[in-house]
Amino acid sequence: MSQLSLPAQTFMAEANEVLESLETRLLELEGDPGNAGIVDAVFRNLHTLKGSGEMFGFTALARFTHGFENAYDAVRSGEAVVTPALIDVSLRSRDHIQRLIDAGNDEAENARLMELEEGRVLLAEIASFTEAAPGAAPPAPELAPSAPTCYRIRYAPERDAFRNGMRPDLMIAELADLGACTARLDVSAVPPLEEIDPTECRLAWDAELVTDVGREAVETVFLFADEETVTIEAEDPAAEPEREAEPQTAAPAAGKPAAATPPAGAPAGATARQATKKSDSIRVQSHRLDELMDQLGELVIAQARLNRIARELADPALVGTSEEIARLIAGLRDATLSIRMLPIGTVFSKFRRVVRDLSSELGKDVQLVTVGEDTELDKNVIDSLSEPLVHIIRNSVDHGVEPLEARRAAGKPDAATLTMSARQSGGEVLVTVADDGGGLKTQRIRTRAAERGLIAEDDALSEKEIHQLIFAPGFSTAETLSSVSGRGVGMDAVRSVISELGGSVEVTSAEGRGTAITLRLPLTLAIIEGLLVRVGAPTYVLPLSNVDECVELGDGELRADSGRSILTIRDQLVPVIDLRRVFAGPGAAADPGRRVVIVRGESRRIGLVVDDIIGQHQTVIKSLSPYHSDIPGLAGGTILGDGSVALILDPVALVKTAGQPATEAA
Amino acid sequence: MNTPSARPRTQATAAEPARTLLTFRLGSETFAIGVEHVQEIIDPLPTTPVPCAPVSAPGIVNVRGSVVPVLDLYHRLRLAPPDGGRGETTRMVVLDVVMPEGATRLAFLADSVEQVVEVPCIAVEPVPEIGISLPPDCLDGVTRLAGDLVVLLKTESIFAHAGRTARAG
Repeated sequence: MSQLSLPAQTFMAEANEVLESLETRLLELEGDPGNAGIVDAVFRNLHTLKGSGEMFGFTALARFTHGFENAYDAVRSGEAVVTPALIDVSLRSRDHIQRLIDAGNDEAENARLMELEEGRVLLAEIASFTEAAPGAAPPAPELAPSAPTCYRIRYAPERDAFRNGMRPDLMIAELADLGACTARLDVSAVPPLEEIDPTECRLAWDAELVTDVGREAVETVFLFADEETVTIEAEDPAAEPEREAEPQTAAPAAGKPAAATPPAGAPAGATARQATKKSDSIRVQSHRLDELMDQLGELVIAQARLNRIARELADPALVGTSEEIARLIAGLRDATLSIRMLPIGTVFSKFRRVVRDLSSELGKDVQLVTVGEDTELDKNVIDSLSEPLVHIIRNSVDHGVEPLEARRAAGKPDAATLTMSARQSGGEVLVTVADDGGGLKTQRIRTRAAERGLIAEDDALSEKEIHQLIFAPGFSTAETLSSVSGRGVGMDAVRSVISELGGSVEVTSAEGRGTAITLRLPLTLAIIEGLLVRVGAPTYVLPLSNVDECVELGDGELRADSGRSILTIRDQLVPVIDLRRVFAGPGAAADPGRRVVIVRGESRRIGLVVDDIIGQHQTVIKSLSPYHSDIPGLAGGTILGDGSVALILDPVALVKTAGQPATEAA
Repeated sequence: MNTPSARPRTQATAAEPARTLLTFRLGSETFAIGVEHVQEIIDPLPTTPVPCAPVSAPGIVNVRGSVVPVLDLYHRLRLAPPDGGRGETTRMVVLDVVMPEGATRLAFLADSVEQVVEVPCIAVEPVPEIGISLPPDCLDGVTRLAGDLVVLLKTESIFAHAGRTARAG
């Protein structure tokens, strides 16, 4: 990657986007095979890949995509039809293209890739669609005028062509592929040696090409060159219709007989769209955003310090300025966070393919419905989300969706529906994967959990509590291991990834009606709203998103029940742990008037007894060193306004601790 | 603060391979670490205790906006803790160490920081097998500076986060 030139790197990034779009289009086309608009879009995607791939030296990619593109050209002209088999081979070809892109533009590597068996087989398969199509005419008849024509071509690239990654040598080579070509290099514009700037292009090419492929094909070679820099003249006017004898410095658009030549019109449209897209978005490497975020974090901390000093000095002008800076930083923070936000649809769209492949592998008909694709999440959260979602979806399709007979017997439609939805709720985003399958078998989970020693035979557990056991390490009820799931690692892995992101997982299920798994995720990982509490002398921070409420701890309200403390809040029993006992060790004297912070983690609530609640604080999370990162209950550190360090507590881990026997917590 | 001020006695000639060391005192003993690890030497910062932390790394401090663990070298080297607490000369040494988990910045308190010296490698002797009660895996050798015995510490093992079983509180 590092040895690739910058334009090649940009190409790879853009090619990956085109591939994503290609996959989405292909899947759409599968559902709507007659839609000419989608076929055009597929063709344009392929054409872009081929053209720019050739230009940046991705020869194998360009060669392969050429064959692929031909098939869709045939579909466009009605010589071939879209069939599930065509979509299938197209999707596999798309994966092959991905590998070709990843391989880079090294020449030797490309030569090797072109010889690959896999690519040949795929190309042969694709070619069979165009050949086997009923009434197949010779490919692209309008592009192949029978009489050979002699074209006189002059290409004088603009001065910054080399810097833009243009490869005139490749273009001339491509011309030579079209027919008998004589090219002359025109060096008349090259300045004397002492004035030469080697990064500037002062060269021009004159070529004579005798070919029967038609003007379109010749123009396609210069698809990515500026139109003013290319002149194409047909020498034999008799062989070409009148309209082709257009002005030599082809005026853009006006000179193009758009209606008569769709292949040239389409890429031109795509280029125009790209141009508008470029003007309102820029590509930034994500580590730069991380740096920006770090700097902003420092600024938030410095502002907290300034605010404290201003209040101590009680100078109204200074306090006013400090408050104004605070407001500006809040705005800057929101703007920076919004840069990092991506719509979750980018993840969802990947799963169309996953669900499609799974349903054919398992022989189950599953439709994916997505809701709330526009919901935005921090890029880092999005990036970590794919893997857990794959686990969840595999589980849903493999275990959740019943076999066809069972679905019919239950009076359900043959096709199962898998719904992926996302919505924002306060500082959290809820992502739900729901199926309309058989639901969790409560009794079977119970039995299995008891077998594995996760619960005791006679534990009194609600149905909901039993369902959460599917997230326990090593738990699986699948009787047979399929290649898809059932190794009992899936849901446990899901929970640990989501916990690392500061989120939680819960499952709701109704036997016979389906299962829904909900991920609660923080909007961003970098900055959180925190509640400052004091336990003994030090101050701690609780993420506000986990805090349900704060209550006073009255005398005698704490009920000790076989070693555990229980607090009654509005008729609900809430287990309580005393942070003093956890952190300061037993025997610490308790302050009068202590308070309880009720926190929520993985669908359970516990109370944390603290000495005092100090207030709210915007917190930049700093991870702890390896010396401290594995201490349960600590999520990180942060720097307070006075420059001291406070520890951020991890309510989810504390809730877990509370679930253990009281002897361990004490 | 950490300008090299080598003494003529230990000045290495250009031909001899040499090590540049920072020397500091813990109680009555003088220790040295390779100066290449040292980031800065600062006045002691207020330390936040970490509950349930290993005894050898009891707290954290804010060093220029980073949260940095503070190690207790007394515990690691099995020395008796200082009775007087922090004195006038107490300094915090901040260093960057490569651990298996990646590069880590950390800090420790020294009763005083002495000097930066260049010591020829041949002047570093192996640790005598008797007469030294320090844990041998943390030591890199001994040398003499102005008649004082200086113990070279092996950064990779002295700061390795061992002792996970021994927890405070």
